[in-house]
Amino acid sequence: MKKSITMILSLIFVTSALLTACGGNDKVATNATNKEKDTPEVKTEEKVSEEPFEMTIRHTQIGADKQKRFAILEDVVKTVQQDVPGLTFKLDGVDSDVNRKEKLRGEMAAGSTPEIFELFGSPDSKIYAKENKLLDLTPILAELGIQDKFSNLDPFTYEGKVYGLPIGGSGEGFFYNKGYYESKGWKAPTTFAELDQQLADIKADGKVPMTGASKAGWVPLMLANHLWSRYAGPDVTNKFATGEAKWSDANVVQGFAKYKEWVDKGYFKKGELGFEYAEYTTQFTSGEAILMYDGTWKSSVFKAGQSGEGLIGKVGFFNLPAVDGGVGDQTALMRDVNNGYGFSASVANDPRQLAAVTSFIKNFYNEKMQLRGLVEDGVLPSMKIDQAVLNENITDGLMSEIVAVLNASQSSFPAFDSLVQADVTTEISNIQIQSLIGGQTTPEKMGAAIQKVQEEANAAVE
Amino acid sequence: MNKALRNPLVFTLFVLPALFLFMMFFIYPIFSSLYYSFTSWNGVSDTVKFSGLTNFKKALGDERFWISAKNNGLFICFSVFIQVPLIVLFSLLIANVKKLKGLYKTAVFMPSIMSTAVIGILWGFIYEPNIGLLNKLIGLVGIEPIYWLSDERFAMISILITNAWQWTGFYIVMVLAAILSIPGELNEAAMIDGATGVQRATRITLPLIMPIITVVIMLSIAGAMKAADIVIVMTKGGPAGSTEVMATYMIKYAITNFKYGYGNAIAVLIFIFTLLVTALYQLLIARRNERIEY
Repeated sequence: MKKSITMILSLIFVTSALLTACGGNDKVATNATNKEKDTPEVKTEEKVSEEPFEMTIRHTQIGADKQKRFAILEDVVKTVQQDVPGLTFKLDGVDSDVNRKEKLRGEMAAGSTPEIFELFGSPDSKIYAKENKLLDLTPILAELGIQDKFSNLDPFTYEGKVYGLPIGGSGEGFFYNKGYYESKGWKAPTTFAELDQQLADIKADGKVPMTGASKAGWVPLMLANHLWSRYAGPDVTNKFATGEAKWSDANVVQGFAKYKEWVDKGYFKKGELGFEYAEYTTQFTSGEAILMYDGTWKSSVFKAGQSGEGLIGKVGFFNLPAVDGGVGDQTALMRDVNNGYGFSASVANDPRQLAAVTSFIKNFYNEKMQLRGLVEDGVLPSMKIDQAVLNENITDGLMSEIVAVLNASQSSFPAFDSLVQADVTTEISNIQIQSLIGGQTTPEKMGAAIQKVQEEANAAVE
Repeated sequence: MNKALRNPLVFTLFVLPALFLFMMFFIYPIFSSLYYSFTSWNGVSDTVKFSGLTNFKKALGDERFWISAKNNGLFICFSVFIQVPLIVLFSLLIANVKKLKGLYKTAVFMPSIMSTAVIGILWGFIYEPNIGLLNKLIGLVGIEPIYWLSDERFAMISILITNAWQWTGFYIVMVLAAILSIPGELNEAAMIDGATGVQRATRITLPLIMPIITVVIMLSIAGAMKAADIVIVMTKGGPAGSTEVMATYMIKYAITNFKYGYGNAIAVLIFIFTLLVTALYQLLIARRNERIEY
């Protein structure tokens, strides 16, 4: 009998312990908050403002390549902690893809996002903003007087309100091996015909003209996107979702055809469909390929201690030249400001957290930090900075060339994936571009196939 | 103790924790997945819109989904018709070696304890078109380099070989355990009767290890239906979707596109297909080989 009782008691104890472990402590926290609320107002304010509190920053600055960006964040964190009494930041670093596609989404659904987190602009921020998961930053920007300081907040704007702020910007163009170009007596091409001729000559010289790594569809699509925007106009991608333009339009198809022509002529490294993005850079830094079409973020590779250290001072940058018969501004550059910070909507309920967020924005989004990002990390500013100040701070030759290209372009357009529906992005980046490279489709068939998905997506929205 | 267990109340109390965990981690997710599969939920919204059978109709009418399902079928066929015979062959060989049996067992088991990411990288080197081992070997006999992972014709078979390499050792150890548990007298008697090695393997060992082979096939089928990691690591479903399987289709076409309702419908379809294939296998083949009596 005694044994039975002991057994039952032990079992109840174990079960209770298990259930307690599985439960959360939300209620306890709520009780504590209620208790605080019950105390007299003035006393509470004084007491709360002195009490330590913690906030979490979810960032993606992990790994050796992002050390400089992380150092900037750490400095901002220190300043904000000094600014806001009692505040301690907890830094939660995760891989950017994991943050964007898994963690943040789950947390958004569960309503448990960190107070501050890295956020992808379009379409992610708009989806979260629509569901009231993000803090409206419009009043904070007005309070700090920086609402007009950003070059472009469109990816983070929903129904006229701003829900996120871009960390930096990027532009896409050709990095080229200056040493090779000089040995041939060449200069960066100024016309498309010149570029075409250089590609042919590099090929004839036994080198790989352009880096190629298309295991992930977005990599070849950077150049393809620029090509169809040259032939059909920089604003053409904007018109697909509204039905004003079609992927099967002759000008758009001409862009695909040009890409295909370059593939067929062997201008990209053979077997590119099996190579990862990392290989893309290696082909260039090793000297195997002479040109690399990539985002300006890649300039950080050509700094001391990085993989492209051997090419410091030997890399140049140029915009895709104008094409014959192209539509619209032929200097237009593909530019993006999609990576930024967002803030949990719950912050609005806590004045101290709101003060911390305001301080974070004030200390992160200013000229000093933007210049640090540019100089130390090679990330273009997301805020408007006086040209004279920029020139004064840029000592890096490559960065000077990049800024010159940006200044020479009269307009810009965002990458297609922030303009078309997700289904269309999946179709073009996972199927069509790889089929085009692999020779399983033609530019015309590709245009028609994407248009079919586009029409389905447009109809679904209606 | 025995008295306590005879008491229904105590018995229930003992069962409760396990039942609770089972409900929480198995039953609840299945039913919640089933529920969301009939909705057009974006994974974030607090409001969930009922959409009936739309998600299922969309999936079953999508050519890409069927390409993925076909690739899962290829995984099953490769496992059953190529991997399993090899498992049996290697198990028989290892069971009969006189020396270093432990070394062989460890060597074949090694890949199954390695992470898929590591295996993906390892085989990525082997399949590398310019400096990879495989192309070096075929180059010796004058064959042009093959772009194993970037050519649609070879990408799927490359993944199947890698996947088989990863799991063969695990199953060999299982089959080996069954072979070694066969009473020695049976083989000795056969030897005295003049049976050759091949005869003993095919007439005595094989029939006696059929139950474990059916289990191996069953596990291979279930593993093939949920394959995803090896595909993601090696080809990301490419080139041009040619190596997509149902699970990667679900991630690519639903989850990353904020279509959680659709994603759950795919998950339910994977569950149903797996259930059907394994049930058919159980009914038609496995049940006949359930028990061996000496």
